Amino acid sequence: MVDKSILLDNKKFTVGIFDDSDKLLHAVNTLKEKGVKIFDCYTPFPVHHLDHALGYHRTNLTIGAFLCGLLGCLSGFTLAYYMNVVDWPMIIGGKPQDITVFTSFIPVMFELTILFTAFGMVIMFFARSRMIHGIKEDLLSRRQTDDHMVLAIDNDQEQAMSKDDILSLLKKEGAIEVNNSKEAFNTSLTSEEELAKLLKSPKAPTKAKTSTKKTKKK
Amino acid sequence: MYTADIRQPLVTGGKTYSDVTKDVCRPIENKPTSSWWLGFSIAVILLLVLAGTLAWTVWEGIGTWNVNKSVMWGWDITNFVFWVGIGHAGTLISAILLLFRQKWRMAINRSAEAMTIFAVFCAAIFPLFHMGRVWLGYWPLPLPNAFGSLWVNFNSPLLWDVFAISTYLSVSLVFWYLGLIPDIATVRDRATLKARKFWYGFFAMGWNGSAKSWGRYEVVALILAGISTPLVLSVHTIVSMDFATSVIPGWHTTIFPPYFVAGAIFSGFGMVLTLLLIARHVMNYQDYITTEHLEAMTKVILLTGSIVGLAYITEFVIAAYSGYEYEQYAFANRMFGPYAWAYWTMMFCNLMAPQVFWSKWARTTPWFIFIISIIVNIGMWFERFVIIVTSLHRDFLPSSWVMYHATWVEVGIFLGTFGLFFTCFFMFAKFLPVINMAEVKTIIKDKE
Repeated sequence: MVDKSILLDNKKFTVGIFDDSDKLLHAVNTLKEKGVKIFDCYTPFPVHHLDHALGYHRTNLTIGAFLCGLLGCLSGFTLAYYMNVVDWPMIIGGKPQDITVFTSFIPVMFELTILFTAFGMVIMFFARSRMIHGIKEDLLSRRQTDDHMVLAIDNDQEQAMSKDDILSLLKKEGAIEVNNSKEAFNTSLTSEEELAKLLKSPKAPTKAKTSTKKTKKK
Repeated sequence: MYTADIRQPLVTGGKTYSDVTKDVCRPIENKPTSSWWLGFSIAVILLLVLAGTLAWTVWEGIGTWNVNKSVMWGWDITNFVFWVGIGHAGTLISAILLLFRQKWRMAINRSAEAMTIFAVFCAAIFPLFHMGRVWLGYWPLPLPNAFGSLWVNFNSPLLWDVFAISTYLSVSLVFWYLGLIPDIATVRDRATLKARKFWYGFFAMGWNGSAKSWGRYEVVALILAGISTPLVLSVHTIVSMDFATSVIPGWHTTIFPPYFVAGAIFSGFGMVLTLLLIARHVMNYQDYITTEHLEAMTKVILLTGSIVGLAYITEFVIAAYSGYEYEQYAFANRMFGPYAWAYWTMMFCNLMAPQVFWSKWARTTPWFIFIISIIVNIGMWFERFVIIVTSLHRDFLPSSWVMYHATWVEVGIFLGTFGLFFTCFFMFAKFLPVINMAEVKTIIKDKE
């Protein structure tokens, strides 16, 4: 059920970090036009049209939500009908206690529809997005939940452009930082000292690669 | 989307993305201020009052309250309806305003939703303890019982209420938590302390802001908003049916559901304004909760206050026109009987006072809005008191007419729920982001 295409484990990425959502969106569109396959983008807030630009389809969670709601509605009816009509009819004021009391089951059916839809959909969302308590998060930049937007390209995937070209293109699109082999790290389970080491080491190749920028521009 | 030039920016002060993060995370990452400690201490003292009075009620029995066989619902159910009503603004702001694409909701939805949840906690105390034996509080649930095959009665609005309130609480919690996840992740990634890294990491559930997750997240939030909208309307509708399906003059009216829903939104916005005006002042959030926000909320107060006022007058006219003497007497008794002071307090607070918001000055002056918001809170408490107590204390049989005055235990429980409410709210303000950072970042360049 987990969406495998969101896993970052044991992969190396070419990343461009942006500080403006419009620049990120433009970079995605340019790279897509040139046939570069983008792994994913990481942003601190939902950037509109980004999922469309990346070619993601609208999620099917809504269908799941509908089915959960239907189940909730039927559960509500079954609960009330079994208890008040089948198992132990409560005759109050001589009124019939059969299917004609259906109208007084409606509030409970309605509430259970909402309850099942909400919980079912959120649980499906967590499952699809591989979210659970205590899982380690895969980050490519420490500020991707603050003010940086990360564009990630999987280094194992065949690309229409060379890696150097992609890096220079990202620079040209306004990336404030680029890196050609970034690995995922996490903040919650790593101490500050280790994080400092982790975040410093891969800087060296970045500079070497970006120096090719001028030649590629021509 | 086109926005006219006269629209004001939603976030003032030229904030950048990282400014938003820093401003919102400041209370979480620093030691609490002295004003926080002061407020929190008062709240905890009131919470102890709640614990004490509830313990006394359980120990001694419901006899410690002044409810009797004529006025069987007194302060307890008044307070229950009062708190449930307050709980309505949060979901209204986050769900209905999301469907209406009102962007001003984004800076205030987090705290309003928190308020909803805490208010429902407070509300749940009253029916639970009013049942007398709180350890048997699970009896309204549809469980097979040990004394035979008797089940709960699905024809009863009281049972609908059990389902409505518990669904409302759990769906609101889910909605709130879902909105918190990206912001908890932000705190996690800024954290340097080991414990903070761990706990915020635990509750962030591995969120990393992937575009795929955001796509799903937005759909889930939209659907939750879509289903929360009828839910929020249904909850107070069902609460009103607790009264409307009875045969008591003054309760037995078809106008109750819309009237109660409007009243709930009215009182909820009153409480949201009270809280936000304090929070914005103490936490320096004037750039996020601008006077534009206050103005928008006062307009909602004005609208719903007028609907409530209209309902009061409609009820009265219908009673007068009904030709039914008991109904006529119930309303005459409200206006001129022994509880007339409560009725006229209600009329002043709910019908008259909010009308000042026709003036632009009143809508944009924080200290004045604060006063009116308190008046609205008082007025809405009296509305429930008037409906419940004045209808019950003189019923069909003059031999059972009584007066009802609360005991210190009932007053203590009511004050105590404020302690519970504010203790929760202060904890929330210390440990969680009070403003939805992720959403505010999307509108930082936008106008109203």
